[in-house]
Amino acid sequence: MAGSSLVLTDDSVLSRIDQKLYRVEGVLALVSGLAVFSLMILAVVSVSGRNFANQPLPGYIDWIEQAMPLIAFMGIAFTQRDGGHIRMDMLVGALRGRSLYLVELITTLFVLALMLLLVWGSWAHFDRSFDFAAPLWSRDSSVDISLPLWPAKLLVPVAFSVLCLRLLLQVWAYTHALVTGVKSPIAVPLIADAAKQAAMEAEHVSGNDA
Amino acid sequence: MEPIEIGLVVSGGLLVLVILGMRVAFAAATAGMIGLIWIFWAKFGYDPARFGKAMTIAVKTAGQVPHSKISSQALSLIPTFILIGYLAYYAGLTKALFEAAKRWLAWVPGGLAVSTVFATAGFAAVSGASVATSAVFARIAIPEMLKIGYNKQFAAGVVAAGGTLASLIPPSAILVIYAIIVEQDVGKLLLAGFIPGAFSAVIYGALIIGMAVVIKDFGPPVKGFTWKERFVSLPPALPILVVVLTIILFVYNPFGGEAWGTPTEGGAIGAFVVFLMALYRGMRWAQLKDALLETAKLSVMIFTIIWGVLIYVRFLGFAELPAAFSAWITSLTMSPMLILVCILLAYAVLGMFMDAIGMLLLTLPVVYPAVMALNGGEFVSAADSTFGMSGPMCAIWFGILVVKMAEFCLITPPIGLNCFVVAGVRDDLSVQDVFKGVTPFFIADAITIALLVAFPAIVLWLPGQV
Amino acid sequence: TDWNVSLWGKRRAFTEHVEKLAELVSEKTNGEFTLSISYGGLSKNRENLDGISIEAFEMAQFCAGYHRDKNPSITVLELPFLGVTSLEQEIALSMAVYNHPATQADLARWNATLLMPSPLPQYNIAGAGDAPATLADFKGLTVRATGGIGQAMETIGAVPTSMSASEVRQAMDSGVVKAVSFAPHAHMSFGTIENATWWTTNLNPGTVNCPVVVNSDALANLSDEHRDALLGSVDEALAHYVDNYNNKTMVAWGPALDEKGIQQVTFSDDEIAAFRDAAAAPAAEAWIADNTARGLPAQELYDLVTGMIANGS
Ligand code: NA
Ligand code: NA
Repeated sequence: MAGSSLVLTDDSVLSRIDQKLYRVEGVLALVSGLAVFSLMILAVVSVSGRNFANQPLPGYIDWIEQAMPLIAFMGIAFTQRDGGHIRMDMLVGALRGRSLYLVELITTLFVLALMLLLVWGSWAHFDRSFDFAAPLWSRDSSVDISLPLWPAKLLVPVAFSVLCLRLLLQVWAYTHALVTGVKSPIAVPLIADAAKQAAMEAEHVSGNDA
Repeated sequence: MEPIEIGLVVSGGLLVLVILGMRVAFAAATAGMIGLIWIFWAKFGYDPARFGKAMTIAVKTAGQVPHSKISSQALSLIPTFILIGYLAYYAGLTKALFEAAKRWLAWVPGGLAVSTVFATAGFAAVSGASVATSAVFARIAIPEMLKIGYNKQFAAGVVAAGGTLASLIPPSAILVIYAIIVEQDVGKLLLAGFIPGAFSAVIYGALIIGMAVVIKDFGPPVKGFTWKERFVSLPPALPILVVVLTIILFVYNPFGGEAWGTPTEGGAIGAFVVFLMALYRGMRWAQLKDALLETAKLSVMIFTIIWGVLIYVRFLGFAELPAAFSAWITSLTMSPMLILVCILLAYAVLGMFMDAIGMLLLTLPVVYPAVMALNGGEFVSAADSTFGMSGPMCAIWFGILVVKMAEFCLITPPIGLNCFVVAGVRDDLSVQDVFKGVTPFFIADAITIALLVAFPAIVLWLPGQV
Repeated sequence: TDWNVSLWGKRRAFTEHVEKLAELVSEKTNGEFTLSISYGGLSKNRENLDGISIEAFEMAQFCAGYHRDKNPSITVLELPFLGVTSLEQEIALSMAVYNHPATQADLARWNATLLMPSPLPQYNIAGAGDAPATLADFKGLTVRATGGIGQAMETIGAVPTSMSASEVRQAMDSGVVKAVSFAPHAHMSFGTIENATWWTTNLNPGTVNCPVVVNSDALANLSDEHRDALLGSVDEALAHYVDNYNNKTMVAWGPALDEKGIQQVTFSDDEIAAFRDAAAAPAAEAWIADNTARGLPAQELYDLVTGMIANGS
């Protein structure tokens, strides 16, 4: 029932890599979902501890802050693959064929450049909190119970690197589409056009609206 | 160039990137990154030999933002509230609620759409995230409306607009984030959202009935439910009340005595209650996994916008734009009420291009102190104030106004998150379709906002009772 | 030359020395050297040291307790029950620790040079509900207290709970915590006195240490004249800060308590002594052990502080 994505697949190398990467991205996204679930459990533990045992969970907030990067970053490439990051598609929605692929290629290259810089920047942020010589390798810790922050900080460049792989793949896919001029490019999220809509509608009538 | 000029030029560039169709989160972050590099290089007098150094500083400054800003307890409300929405869907609560609303309300002109609005309003009492509400109801209400011949675009518009109610009717992630940014009492703010939220729902309903009366072949009424059928539809929807009560007890205990916890905990415990219900109703790992994946996707989308916008905000901080704006607002000589209206109009324009939370994070640090100053200061008494209300009451009133503007921005093109979400759930709908369908609700929102400005008592009466 | 200064929150007693410093430096250099102060626009408060180390800005304020692992050396000043009695004494102790080579090396990892402290008086506890008559009444009391003060409260059976300062008011409204430990200015600015019914006058378990630092390279690159203007203004800025804190904040504090009808609870000397004995020594021992393991001359730093207090300086 997950909002089906408009990404076409075939037997090409590009598509096979896309699908392999998608599986990895899906696992990371599930980690993100499980982290949300853990927030819920954490609150139950904290509230029942406080109200029934007069013993609140030490460092409740510190733990929440540790869980947030898991939630916010792990699914970023998964969402990019499905075209889930929102955008204004008035212009790209009006374009077709090579001109569309060109604009998509340019903006994707911009995003790739941005994310490469952010991998660098977020790695530096991690690196400042990490010290092999220090106890627990920690050079930055949480306010209340002094949890080392480097594991949470490390998640950011890791998740961003996976996104960079995804973006590289999309650059490849758009370049391929630009060169060949194909009607329906593979491995990139498509903007639903009329024909596709009809196909989707048929699928919907056959009904999975629980 | 002066930093402020760099700020303005880069902001123009951001608009271009957005129009080109770059994903909003990355467009904002790109603008912020370029702006930071520019600012630091300008500080080195554009010395080519020191460009690398300027770039290093900019990249490291931007690179802090995602982790540093996302690791916040306040923002943890967003994913928990989204999770409530999806779990309630799998627990059958949303469907039961919609069914009850349908049997009781669908006999009026435009009945199914009116039922949708009131079902979303009821669901808003357990859901704190507008996007999740729209996403869930898009699955339930749109097919039913299409079945009896509603215009596809309008059906989508109803769900997108109805979803916004979740941000005013407590609990609400946006209200809590407002309260935390401006350091005001969360409990009172949440309480204050209740009547304006219900009020918005009534105005939406009136608008739909009006349209159904005037326009031919528009949303036929659905008649023929017996009273028995109506009453048997209620028990399955009742568990919603259990969740509502749990959350209320956590934020504000109406039975006297202390509340059971903080809003953060309330949201999470609410989710846990719905989770148990879903288990009871037969949810298993496959469905839970779906719910978690959907929650992750929506959360990631919102968080990516948040950190992207905040990189841009960090750049604005270095460009000294907020300080300049604040000085400008307080130097104006117009009447305070006119200034307030202009601020709300500015929110309407800004809200077209931003998401709700990004907009609040961007503007409140500057706008909130200015509004409080307009009213006569944070601790002013009602008698000495400009708007006829004490400082804390003004904070609540302005908060509700801003959140209503933020709701509005969830459905205005080109960047209206709820419309994107509805289009995302329904592959047969393009974003443009949803935007077309939601247009009538702009009028309803404009009326609501005008009334909230003209009659602050609508907002302030309930929190004034405690 | 224009320096960016990263503070947070809004202008308040806690930032008056930086505001004064900016004024003095600009005056002495005829506006050639200015400090642009930003409240939260340049960095989150917990990342101010990061910002200094990457040269995003030249001056910043932070609190040692936000991130013990970033600045273990200065956390010695946050140990419970050191027995500091005035802001002047807090300044003298802070500067002695700041000038110790081990502390300078600790902060040099961030390319930071410690400029001056932001001295705060001893924390005390404001609470709602029945006022404690003796320390035994703290048993089971939920109190918002972090770091060393939280550990100290634990020794008398209180239940320390963590939360950010901005959530404190709501937590107290809703009964999640019954009591809150803050310095007086924070009790007033975070609204805890709106709910409180009692306040401890002499618990004095400790305080937090919040230095102002500058980027070492930026300091070295200043012209001699500008550097003298900056460093030569520190004493006057601190004097202004202390004067403002004592004669505005502390003077307003007593009447604010009376106006709200808040009961002032004073414990006997014997009780305070017993509390100190239970809390101070174990915390100090643990601190020394931890930080010796980090390679700091922890005992030496501790002796420096306690020695100065014993000498009454
Ligand atoms: Na809600
Ligand atoms: Na919008």
